[in-house]
Amino acid sequence: MHGELKFESVEAARRDLENRTLANIEGNFARLIYLASMRDYNTGEYHHEGMARRFSEASARQALAACHQDVFRRLVLCSLEELVDELELYIRTNCPGDSDMLRVWKMLEPYRVAVPLDCSPLTARYFRSNIRIALSILQSRRLPALQHPQSASPQR
Amino acid sequence: MSVLLFLMMLTGAGLLVSVFLIRRVVRQDFDEATYGTEEEEALASPWDPLVSELSAGLFNSKDSEFVRLHCSPKLARRFRTERTALALDWLVQIRRQVNLLTREHVRAARSDSDLKPADELRLGFEFLLFQVSSGVLYLIIWMFGPPRASRLVGYPIDLAQRLRKMTDDLVPGGAQVAAELLDIEPPVNRGTSAP
Repeated sequence: MHGELKFESVEAARRDLENRTLANIEGNFARLIYLASMRDYNTGEYHHEGMARRFSEASARQALAACHQDVFRRLVLCSLEELVDELELYIRTNCPGDSDMLRVWKMLEPYRVAVPLDCSPLTARYFRSNIRIALSILQSRRLPALQHPQSASPQR
Repeated sequence: MSVLLFLMMLTGAGLLVSVFLIRRVVRQDFDEATYGTEEEEALASPWDPLVSELSAGLFNSKDSEFVRLHCSPKLARRFRTERTALALDWLVQIRRQVNLLTREHVRAARSDSDLKPADELRLGFEFLLFQVSSGVLYLIIWMFGPPRASRLVGYPIDLAQRLRKMTDDLVPGGAQVAAELLDIEPPVNRGTSAP
């Protein structure tokens, strides 16, 4: 009985998170970064003040972990073309006009911390490899535009 | 005659690769026992269902085609190398799980009084088939890359699943330890794969 109630509580917290927060974030990649940022780097535990108050600390933690795994799974299983689109959307909505972001991301690899804790090393490597190649594709797409900005304007 | 010779050569090559892989796994097992590695963590942690689903992405040709069209040849080469290494590690991980399952079965079978030798022989034959087919698959991935091996992935995976079922049927207690292992689905091609 207690287990059932707890499951319902986690499910309610999860639905709340999906409908009220994640639905307002554009793109799975932005959602992944948001959910990873809810996790303590030292303990690996998730924390959301509002959700913990609304439901319970444990339910909020489990709901955040479940959503994180779900979004990560979607990104791992999508094709490279879809991943490039996801990354492009993330850059467009979060860092508009910042041409340096791709270079910084390639150097610092901040997406490494976006991997869920219980993910296998092989899956994590696959994800990182895909992100690296997607960043390179985006960089190569942007390079001609930066080198020849006039070519982007319509010819008369 | 020539077909028979070809099959014998193929089996020989498969056995050679299997021996190489088993030696590699044994060597790694020793190193891991001493120092601990990522692979050890993978085995120690609960089975990640994503690993089984990865095969669809690893072996599809759609991504390779996309990279070929949108990247420089140098980058495309790097992508191919990375995907090949990942696919080989994926296969090694599955072989390790099958080996673990078989070891558990042998351990449980030792104390089983109702052991049927014929069934055990059949299991041994299936295990050998798995070793040979996955060895051949390893060789093909290594030589030609994952997209060209996509059509062959299903066979060792089917064998691995059959082995799991057989070990469970023969000595139910033996498979309980590795119950979560080998929840593997054959890869679904997202793109058209090269033969």
